[in-house]
Amino acid sequence: MKYEYKKGPELYTPIMMRIISKRDLTPDVRFFQIVPKEEFKHLDLDYKPGQFMMLSLFGSGEAPFSISSSPTRKGIFEFAIRKTGKITNKIFELKDGDQLGLRGPFGNGFPIEKMLGKDIVIVAGGLGAAPLRSLLLYILDNRELFGRLIYLYGAKNPQEMLYRPDFFEMLESDQLELYLTVDKGNEGFEDKIEEGMVTHLFKYVNDIDPKNTIACVCGPPVMYKFVVNEILKYNLEKHNILVNLERRMKCGTGKCGHCIIDYRYTCIDGPVFTYWDVIHMRELI
Amino acid sequence: MRVLKLSKKDENKLYDVLIKFGEVWAPVPKGSRYVFDKIEKKEDLIMYNEFIRTILPIKKFLMPQELNILNFKPSKYEKPKVDIPTRVIVGVPPCEIHALNILDKFYTTDFVDNYYMERREKVIIIGKSSLPDEYLFSHKTNTSIVEEGYDLFFIDLGDYYLVWVGSEKGDDIVRLGSDIFSEDVPVDVAKDFVAYREKRRKAFTKDIDLEGVTDLMELMYDADFWDEFGEKCLSCGQCTMVCPTCTCFNVIDEIELNKDEGHRRRYWDSCMFKDYSLVAGQHNFRESRAERLKLWYTHKLKAFIGHFGSPSCVGCGRCIITCPVDINVETVVEKLKG
Amino acid sequence: MKKKPTLGIYGFTGCAGCQLSLLDCEDELIDLFSAADIKVFYEAMSNNDDEALVDIALVEGSINTNKQLDELKEIREKAKVLVAFGSCANHGCVQAMALGDGKWEQRFKQVYGDAKFTVAIPREAQPIHKFVKVDAFIPGCPPSKIQMLRAITQLLFGNKPTYTNSPVCLECKFRENECLLNDGKLCLGPLTMGGCTAPCPTHNTPCIGCWGIIEEANHIAELKLLKEKGFKTEEIIRRFRMFGGSEIVEKIEKLLEVAK
Repeated sequence: MKYEYKKGPELYTPIMMRIISKRDLTPDVRFFQIVPKEEFKHLDLDYKPGQFMMLSLFGSGEAPFSISSSPTRKGIFEFAIRKTGKITNKIFELKDGDQLGLRGPFGNGFPIEKMLGKDIVIVAGGLGAAPLRSLLLYILDNRELFGRLIYLYGAKNPQEMLYRPDFFEMLESDQLELYLTVDKGNEGFEDKIEEGMVTHLFKYVNDIDPKNTIACVCGPPVMYKFVVNEILKYNLEKHNILVNLERRMKCGTGKCGHCIIDYRYTCIDGPVFTYWDVIHMRELI
Repeated sequence: MRVLKLSKKDENKLYDVLIKFGEVWAPVPKGSRYVFDKIEKKEDLIMYNEFIRTILPIKKFLMPQELNILNFKPSKYEKPKVDIPTRVIVGVPPCEIHALNILDKFYTTDFVDNYYMERREKVIIIGKSSLPDEYLFSHKTNTSIVEEGYDLFFIDLGDYYLVWVGSEKGDDIVRLGSDIFSEDVPVDVAKDFVAYREKRRKAFTKDIDLEGVTDLMELMYDADFWDEFGEKCLSCGQCTMVCPTCTCFNVIDEIELNKDEGHRRRYWDSCMFKDYSLVAGQHNFRESRAERLKLWYTHKLKAFIGHFGSPSCVGCGRCIITCPVDINVETVVEKLKG
Repeated sequence: MKKKPTLGIYGFTGCAGCQLSLLDCEDELIDLFSAADIKVFYEAMSNNDDEALVDIALVEGSINTNKQLDELKEIREKAKVLVAFGSCANHGCVQAMALGDGKWEQRFKQVYGDAKFTVAIPREAQPIHKFVKVDAFIPGCPPSKIQMLRAITQLLFGNKPTYTNSPVCLECKFRENECLLNDGKLCLGPLTMGGCTAPCPTHNTPCIGCWGIIEEANHIAELKLLKEKGFKTEEIIRRFRMFGGSEIVEKIEKLLEVAK
């Protein structure tokens, strides 16, 4: 027999977490902070920016959510969750202290080791700011380990912009070059938010060193092509253009099949893919 | 490898040996087809001469159609404790053992799926070679001869079977059945064996040329025939159910009426179904039937090579005889080749 | 203690078999009565509160009279979540098999002659979604015990029940049946909403489509296939229509065109 019958850890059994705080980021996106139900258990639960967790709601099921917090801020797990269906509807009914199940982390996450010392361009669209917040906080918490940090964020309108107060505060910071835009209706925020698609913010992205820059993109499916085309104009190396994707997932372990794209599983080989993968796999973006 | 002999006059004693190891399962007729079923009486254990293609492959033993994977309460998720019986599966053809090897690889790569493993270790595979029928094309997928993955493997050489011992469990069986498994395997058996191999090799008639198909999948990705197949496809999902290497599953949570408890159920899913690639917010990554068909054939004929080094079609011919509208490896390859 | 959700079970035109299959649950029925505050259930109770506002309304049957239509609209106003319960409510079922053929009045006259109706003016059978917003559904003719109880449990829990959105073929293959289409039978499995656990094909009887049409049903392909197998267009269309309800009406013209 070639393969040993070696069992692994029980990957499909969630551990229990409880909600310690929540607040609305937009009319339909809520921010949750959760910790293990038994505080001194699961202290080893670590993760990387760009990874995701499977959250389970009693009786309603399980779904993947990208982690919005940074591993540099240990102990608390944060998620920005949009109300779109059965599970998220139920998550929105949860109160502080309520419990939910968690498995993970899953996915490859951003290749932090490779990104050290590099200039980082982050492009977020809509809810894409949720997983990218993990990366953003990670870089800010380890600022000296990275080069320039450029962050472009586009949302539908100012109300739909995640973490708007945080971003407004960061506009004053010298730690990053931050530009915000909305598709329409920046009234009242003209000094902080531009109007137009996120691609239109690339006019601020100048003096890029193509050999020393890594771009990270996350947003709605339609956004990737346009944004990647902009990034390609800077002659970045293809493996240095990273996209963070969403797919249907039921397991997180490369078994259920739903997240497959060509020969890659989004839950193991992704959700962070390179532009090199994009060229090779038709269905990717 | 250890090779023994089982005389055909002792064949009827085989059941008594196997039953000591666990439940005995073997192909039994169902309509015009066969299914792997539990054998309760020794006379029902039949070693068929012809190639037996059961409706469902042996994956049903390893990842059942429906499986309760968790029990839960509002504050606890728990894996149910189940007693999985040891099952001796008799009469597994070589191509299916290849499929099993693929499943072993699949379920242990990156992460080990314990639900699979718990069942895998409780399965004893008694393989059997037979002459191909008109749909089997395992000679084209390099899966007609099997070297590993079985516990015992039977080759019918007329008055007797040659029995290959492929594992410790297999060895246990032949030791316990030492009165019927004979170690007396003279050198001239080789002649019969070679003659059988040659006869079997020549008996394959299905000609599906898989050479270069990987590249053609790439080149023909936008070919019109995909849309034609898409129009024809009934989205019944039978191809994925009967395919011995299809593994996709869906997961659903159910709660008990008036009780604060429930369970999480895993069941076979099909990439032919519309909701397969549907994500929150109703975005569907594979809206059309043609896209979903392309996904399946990409996965079978191309993508699996990228992941595991070989295609995941083992040439069992199930899709050929099952698809009501003749969308199968044969017709797709035909179109790919122009 | 948390307040129990209120439930109303209403019936219009049909065989009342959906309500009956609920009653048939026996053991679980006790759980249902303790999990929900049942306000209306004519088939099971004598003290019904017609005026009650309910969290969940299970509506069985198709709409066949103007009076029913008014009642349906009232139920809609009283219910937070309105559920189409069973095939009649969902699709119209067998009483809608000739829906939209323009001959309803003629047929009606054949049966009832010049009878005058004063209280409930009859009309062509229609599923309830033609008149009111339907929030959720429970398929089946009648619904299967397991799926129905799971769905009701989800509803009481505040969830919309979700189904696998797969055809009968999925469970038919789970039970390891030979495909009846390949056996030359007129089986509607691929066109039909699953969840029934495929009892008919398991007993070698082709699926007649009683759970209604599945979203992804490819009627054109099935029509072509059945014609190849020697079935006549009229027979195929008649079978499609039997439980095809209002959904098939939209497809008929195209199907007849293809059949030529």
